[in-house]
Amino acid sequence: MNAPLLEIKRLSKAFGRVIAASNIDLTIDPGVLTSIIGPNGAGKSTLINMLSGSLPVDSGRILFQGADITHLPIHHRVRMGLCRSFQVVNIFPDLTVFDNIQIPVLAVHKRARRLFRPVAREAGVREEVSQVLDRVGLAAEAQTVASALSHGDQRLLEVGIALAVRPRLLFLDEPTAGMNPVERVRVLENIRGLSEEGKTTFVIVEHDMDIVFSLSDRVVVLHHGVIIGDGTTEDIQKSARVREVYLGEEVMT
Amino acid sequence: MKRFWTYVFIALILAGLVSIGLFAGRFVVYLSMRVLILSIFALGYNLLLGRTGLLSFGHAAFYAGGAYGLGLISIHVTTNPLLGIIVGVGLACIMALVIGFFCVRHTEIYFAMLTLAFGMMVFSLIWNLREVTGGDDGLVGIVRAPISLGFASIPITKTSHYYFFVLFCFILTVALIYLIRRSPFGLVLSGIRENDRRIEFAGLSVRNYRLAAFVISGTFAGLAGALGALLESNANPFSAHWSHSAEPILVSLIGGIQTFTGPVVGSVVFILLREIIERFTQNWMLWFGLILLIIIMGLRGGVVGGVAQLFRRKRSHVAKSGGNR
Ligand SMILES: Nc1ncnc2c1ncn2[C@@H]1O[C@H](COP(=O)(O)OP(=O)(O)OP(=O)(O)O)[C@@H](O)[C@H]1O
Ligand SMILES: [Mg+2]
Repeated sequence: MNAPLLEIKRLSKAFGRVIAASNIDLTIDPGVLTSIIGPNGAGKSTLINMLSGSLPVDSGRILFQGADITHLPIHHRVRMGLCRSFQVVNIFPDLTVFDNIQIPVLAVHKRARRLFRPVAREAGVREEVSQVLDRVGLAAEAQTVASALSHGDQRLLEVGIALAVRPRLLFLDEPTAGMNPVERVRVLENIRGLSEEGKTTFVIVEHDMDIVFSLSDRVVVLHHGVIIGDGTTEDIQKSARVREVYLGEEVMT
Repeated sequence: MKRFWTYVFIALILAGLVSIGLFAGRFVVYLSMRVLILSIFALGYNLLLGRTGLLSFGHAAFYAGGAYGLGLISIHVTTNPLLGIIVGVGLACIMALVIGFFCVRHTEIYFAMLTLAFGMMVFSLIWNLREVTGGDDGLVGIVRAPISLGFASIPITKTSHYYFFVLFCFILTVALIYLIRRSPFGLVLSGIRENDRRIEFAGLSVRNYRLAAFVISGTFAGLAGALGALLESNANPFSAHWSHSAEPILVSLIGGIQTFTGPVVGSVVFILLREIIERFTQNWMLWFGLILLIIIMGLRGGVVGGVAQLFRRKRSHVAKSGGNR
């Protein structure tokens, strides 16, 4: 039996009077593809922000592979293997697609501090960048400036940058938002494939219920900063509480 | 093919620079040295401004660190300029490390204001520590003794001899900055300029990389300061004044902050323009300011950026960090 990858203990966060997370307890096991769903403003992004280090927690603890990371800076968490992508595109706009991926790959290869050697000569790094580009389907755009990509391609790049750090645990905040169906399928196939390879465990925030139920091993439902449902896709589809929250949405039928 | 012309171009420039040292009159040689020294200052500075996206108003302090470090060694310890330069550059480097440590945790306007505040503090220290720095007189009587390397001794007393030493330092700076811009480290710096939050999610400490860029630029400022003090035979307190910090900024803007050669071209334009205008009018600052305004507003991307754009109108998207123009 594997030890849990991530353990969250009584995590809370409030913005003034808005309670975005209230005593959340959650454990994520390696290899289990988890989706976090919930209506707008449920606190999904806030939870990811706290876990990845973008937001300080009000109270509670976060353990990653047994180590307390509650107060660690972002880059330490990333080096330990915990990374995320963003709901809003957050790339290096004036660099090429290749360089966008190259920066995290350099960091993983511990080459980022090299001062005098041309980056073009880092053969191992270049190869891995090409692999990541192939994977997300941007190989043809390698030399395009990122800001000139279509919105869908920028989303692919967004996910690519997150994948490039070879995370053990990766949070994807609405990875398919604003994509066309073709790109969407591509990203989902990727996530499924990578998840099955077993190197990376995915936690996905997603609004499209078809995607959620076809992809996930486990679904966690958030509402007003509280977990109101947690289980397999069937459990969630049957849950009365969850139905109540999503009342009227045909997707739950 | 393009490579070939680049080499031809570099060879021509080098030949021109060498012939200035061999054939030009004293004044031209002196002026060229001021251009070269300002170029060293600005090349280092632009690693921070153009590459990392940080605007510092305090780099005159590091320039002065180099000048006073050299001056103090020259007056109290040995006139061998080599030791003076090493100590001057080292002092600037340490100052940049200490000041940078406090500044790089802030960004944008806060960073700029902090560097300004530290710069002002260094200036008033130099101004008030009369026993050490000579106060408003500065350190005078710095001699250009031969550079002794133990096995050989290079005379730099004559202006034209010193010119070749400055040229050597300039070429060294160009080469180092060129390498840094093409290195993995240089790419990370452009990443910080583009999106510092995302750099953290690559697993890199933005603060440390910013500090490294700050220290490197401060160190080159120190080299420029040491060379400048040797050129003028004194260390001047106003070299630490915040108005002097504006020089590498202006020069980089004139040449183009997103280009490699911009700071050098900007230095040529700056020194020449100033020299010419000063001939014709008392209030040169007014006219100088006007012309700078026209260049900076009229040529977005600076002289080098503007010219480069003319050459590649057809290619639509070119990455900022991609080339070393
Ligand atoms: N930085 C902030 N300052 C103040 N309030 C915030 C902040 N971030 C989030 N909130 C509030 O916290 C609540 C949870 O927001 P969050 O972004 O986590 O929701 P979400 O589940 O990701 O929603 P969506 O599906 O729209 O992305 C919302 O009411 C939001 O307005
Ligand atoms: Mg959200």
